[in-house]
Amino acid sequence: MHESPIIKFGGFHLDLSAVIMLFVTCTIVFVLVRLAVRNLSVENPSKLQNFMEWVVEFVQGIVASAMDLKKGKGYISLGLTLILFIFVANLLGLPFAIITDLPANFEVFGKTIEATRNLHDGYMAHVLWWKSPTADISITAGLAIIVFILMNYLGLKLNRKHYLKHYLEPFPIFLPLNIIENLAKPVALAIRLFANIFAGEVLITVILKMGILGIPFLAVWQGFSIFVGALQAFIFTILTMVYIAQTTIHEEAAH
Amino acid sequence: MEVLWENILISIVAFAILYFLLHKYAFSKLFAIMEQRRELVMNQMNEAAETRKQAALYVEEQKKALDQARQEAHEIIERSRQTSNKQAEQLIEQAKEETVRLKAEAVRDIENEKNKAVEELRGELGSVSVKIASKLIEREVKTDEAQEQLVDQYLKEVGGRS
Repeated sequence: MHESPIIKFGGFHLDLSAVIMLFVTCTIVFVLVRLAVRNLSVENPSKLQNFMEWVVEFVQGIVASAMDLKKGKGYISLGLTLILFIFVANLLGLPFAIITDLPANFEVFGKTIEATRNLHDGYMAHVLWWKSPTADISITAGLAIIVFILMNYLGLKLNRKHYLKHYLEPFPIFLPLNIIENLAKPVALAIRLFANIFAGEVLITVILKMGILGIPFLAVWQGFSIFVGALQAFIFTILTMVYIAQTTIHEEAAH
Repeated sequence: MEVLWENILISIVAFAILYFLLHKYAFSKLFAIMEQRRELVMNQMNEAAETRKQAALYVEEQKKALDQARQEAHEIIERSRQTSNKQAEQLIEQAKEETVRLKAEAVRDIENEKNKAVEELRGELGSVSVKIASKLIEREVKTDEAQEQLVDQYLKEVGGRS
């Protein structure tokens, strides 16, 4: 098992690899989108602008499938950011990983990396620097918590009466069940995304152990991982929209 | 693998920053342009539909005008045919009248000539017969009364025979 490069600031554990990978992901997404909107044109769009418009229309389709597009207009930005961020994050771990073997009490910025603290001489800590940020359950949990907070906040703000009432349906005794259901949504989101990407990376590591024999398998698996990464980004986005639609929009016909 | 609340926090912050940056510097512009593009396409479609409608209208007008022109031409031909027919009839009528009139004139002229000739002949015959009679009877006819009576009687016989 690879360790994370964690340094401690007082009681605050700073995971350097998470910080780096999040920064890289955000930068790639931002630069990609900025390039796409650099020379916006109504008459003569560039290829990148066309691509970006296709993505926007794709996300519009996702939002429209969950709710009325008129109400969901404000969520298109959120959906776009989610799908681009998760897709890029999923792909980052595919081409390579950076793992260093660090000796005991290795220091970064004057702080000791926790995994190397108090190691016996001669032992090395395998520290994983470059990976998919979504292969870290803490980060997928962060995304899921954003969705969780957003859906409950929007439900309370836009649809308070029906949102609160839904906890007592069909009978008041279902209250604990409804709360669990609500809590299970972000947990499922986080674990689904994490498990898919993490499993992909683990399998890549395993295939690498096969040496030259593994090359065809690696090619197949990497191609499949790209597919899985896109699929998981899509699933995360559409579930987010469905959850928001469930809490914010009261459908007369549903009751 | 453990869950680090610090990582959760960092990822939330990172995602929030990315969202706001993208929303502010990229997506709003992109959405505006896409909206403009949509409107442009809509306008062009509307324009095309309008043009097509106008074209259809124009063709209809042209067809109507053509029909009208054709009908007018037909009317003109019809009218000219009628007038020419009428004129021809008139001409024939006039010619007929002319011939009738000429014929009547000719008949009258002939009558006149004939009367004149008869008159002349009668006068000439009178004097010739007087000469013949005076030569024949010489002295027996002395008075003019008897003479003229005789001539008239004679002439009546001649006129009755002719």
